[in-house]
Amino acid sequence: MNLIETLRIPRSTQKKPIPTVAWLAGWVALLATIPLFYILIRAAGAESSVWIRIIQTRLLKLISNTLLLVLSVTAGTTILGVGMAWLTERTDLPGRNLFRWLLALPLAIPPYIGAIIHLALLRPHGGIIPQWAQKAFGTAMPLPVPTGFWGATFVLSVFSFPYVFLLSAAAFRLLNATYDDVARMSGRNAWQTFWQVTLPIIRPGITAGALLVSLDVLAEYGTVALLRYETFSSAIFIQLAGRYDRSAASILSGVLIMIALVFLIGEFKIQGQAQFTQITSSWRPAQQIELGKNKVLALGLVIAVIFTSFIVPICLLIFWSTKGILQPAAVAAMQTGSLGLSNYIINSLWSAGLAAFLAVLLSIPIAIFAVRHPGIVSRVFSRLAQVGYAIPGVVVALSLVMLVNRYIPFLYATPLIVVLAYVVRYIPQAVRSSQSALNQLSVTLEEAARLLKRNSLQTFLQVTLPLIFPGLLAGGALVFLSSLKELPATLLLRPAGFETLAVRVWYWSEEGFYNQAAPVALLLVLISILPLFFLLRREAIFKK
Amino acid sequence: MKLEIENLSKFFKDATHSAVDNISFGVKNEEILSFVGPSGCGKTTTLRLIAGLEKPDQGIIRLNQTIINSSTVFILPEKRNIGMVFQDHALFPHLTVFENIAFGLKGQSKTEKKKRVQELLNLVGVEALAQRFPHALSGGERQRVALARAMAPSPTLLLMDEPFSSLDAHLRLSVREQVRDILKSSHSTVIFVTHDQDEALFMGDRLAVLNQGKIEQIGYPEEIFHDSDTRFVAAFMGDSDFIHGKTLPNGVQTALGLLEQSQTAPYGQEVEVALRADDIDFNVAEPGNGTILNRFFRGAFNFYRIKLDSGEIIQAFKIHTELFEPGERVQVFFNAGHPLKIFSNNHRQG
Repeated sequence: MNLIETLRIPRSTQKKPIPTVAWLAGWVALLATIPLFYILIRAAGAESSVWIRIIQTRLLKLISNTLLLVLSVTAGTTILGVGMAWLTERTDLPGRNLFRWLLALPLAIPPYIGAIIHLALLRPHGGIIPQWAQKAFGTAMPLPVPTGFWGATFVLSVFSFPYVFLLSAAAFRLLNATYDDVARMSGRNAWQTFWQVTLPIIRPGITAGALLVSLDVLAEYGTVALLRYETFSSAIFIQLAGRYDRSAASILSGVLIMIALVFLIGEFKIQGQAQFTQITSSWRPAQQIELGKNKVLALGLVIAVIFTSFIVPICLLIFWSTKGILQPAAVAAMQTGSLGLSNYIINSLWSAGLAAFLAVLLSIPIAIFAVRHPGIVSRVFSRLAQVGYAIPGVVVALSLVMLVNRYIPFLYATPLIVVLAYVVRYIPQAVRSSQSALNQLSVTLEEAARLLKRNSLQTFLQVTLPLIFPGLLAGGALVFLSSLKELPATLLLRPAGFETLAVRVWYWSEEGFYNQAAPVALLLVLISILPLFFLLRREAIFKK
Repeated sequence: MKLEIENLSKFFKDATHSAVDNISFGVKNEEILSFVGPSGCGKTTTLRLIAGLEKPDQGIIRLNQTIINSSTVFILPEKRNIGMVFQDHALFPHLTVFENIAFGLKGQSKTEKKKRVQELLNLVGVEALAQRFPHALSGGERQRVALARAMAPSPTLLLMDEPFSSLDAHLRLSVREQVRDILKSSHSTVIFVTHDQDEALFMGDRLAVLNQGKIEQIGYPEEIFHDSDTRFVAAFMGDSDFIHGKTLPNGVQTALGLLEQSQTAPYGQEVEVALRADDIDFNVAEPGNGTILNRFFRGAFNFYRIKLDSGEIIQAFKIHTELFEPGERVQVFFNAGHPLKIFSNNHRQG
């Protein structure tokens, strides 16, 4: 059969056409990784004398400080998050429908605002609680101090645990009751069932959440700076803002990124495994555990957590705000130059909004390439686009200052550089949302459109886009929320006169003007609650 | 021929054998061709290659005498005018039934569209559901809307990929009758993919049996069933048992005795004889040549599994008025009334 020979194309010379979307995805992956590689190159290229000085004087202390805090906060958030999720999902705790919402809402309070509040409450000299105790008992009371290592652990755990709470609550909710039944039939009591069956099954989800919290702690600046506990982020900030030592800052940033990458790679690995879902056609909700006599204790615990992480901070902000608004002097002081509150709101909204839009737009080619053309290349691109998780705000700032100065100077000293920082830092959240939205869309819908005479672009616009739009919107809301709260990159990169809500909260409260800072902080929290509410409504545990 | 396929092949990375291995066949105008085979035999891949959703490694595809795929030509799926009904129906969840059916009528005026959609709604009998969204339809209704959507642009060829597999068993029987009537009344040319032999025999004017990427046999249902070309086809389509035999000048020597039947194989060759339950009969007898293993009640008939002394297990029917119990010794003998299919052992396939 000569015909076959002429028809058969040798496999080695046969090339699959590269889809257009691969090029777009490649560009996005490149843009997302440039800041990281630039810092690593600068760190590696720094003078050896600076390296030696830093290694001898700072490095070990910073590494141990930072890792200790990561460890303690991860432990704290895991215990709080899993514990609260178990109580509200698996037991007959009264009021659990309300508590579920209240336990998720601290996500609207950036940890640095939480730190400001707990500092104002507990600081040894002039704190609200010590003063009140002195009046009541006549002498100074030995109260815990919210600064240093334990203070930072406390504040970060209390305001970060909702991440772990949401992930583990969803895992508890989706867990098939059959596993529990099997364990009970094999002679395990409720306690043994929890430790031997339930927890191991939901472990991948919890671990992934805990690793994301670790990355947040590595990146956290405001809280550790306020509570005077030195980590990499605060040390880099000082090098940049105080000493203008970019060499030292680059080295510290390089080391910090290497540490963060280890956590991120671990998280990628678990994301791969965490895919095993337990939802089968035979799914039914697990049986509720009766708390019995422990009900009062459990209720007390949940209420204590909600008070510490949400109700007390909000009440205090409202109290200070009313005090501030009633004082004409404080209202008059809520201005910088000729610019007032409305200017901060507008700046916050447009910069975070533009960042959200850009991040979602850029995430689309990555998501299409990764989901519709699975393979090594697309997986690498998708992960490269997510390295922003491992670049703390201070490092993004340092990298962009140097890059923009050198290659796109016209962007320097414009608010756009702030937006760019938000995009680099938070595009991973958009990438994940877009990918999961596209994953849930059956390919056959797109194939059906092709056979009904639409080309690939028409198919995307008429079928794919309308169907994944809610998912894209969720990604955008996430980036918006994170950008709104972002502090260190905004402080370092903003041009003079570009004031956002976060920046103003920070400066006024650093100077102790709580009555001025409180209304701004309250606004920030209230604006955050809107996208947060939209995001939470999409979570399995808030669906009826 | 409406559709002609020559030497079509597709190989997927990380696969041990070709998904589609050098197959050639044709589909006549207004014919329904059933593709049947076990899962992974390449039937869905063949369909996707014809649709243009996958690119073949080699082969020529001609639709209405026009080449739509060759080593130099690849027409995009949206330019082929081929309709497809997907396994999961793939109705667009953001569009109503009306909009779903109208989706393929690009470039027509509003009145034309409305007229055509109305025709199809009538054809598949879902006029009342035009303004509903897919999630508010039952399984059978979705099935019919998916068919209407694929047929709306009057495609040259209609492909159906296991369209009934998401329906439950009793609904499937009534839907397949309706669908066959619709396809026949609209004079469609169809390739219908299924893994269910019954469905293939019911739907197809002709059948193609696929296995491991190759067409084992293509022909009319009677040919496939009674005159299987290969052992695989006999086993897959007819639930045949096989017993071992050795050729003699006047027939085949088996555990059931001599099968007197002229055959072409040379003397003394090892062969296998395909047996259906209605090709044999048995009597209670001592010593006999087999033992009843179990009896299964099938209404008018009882179905017996019998273990022969040679170790082979075969199946036979008996009318329900005669009862035999497991453990009884029986004499099994040929009782076909027509020649049996004999396959030589060294060409064993499947």
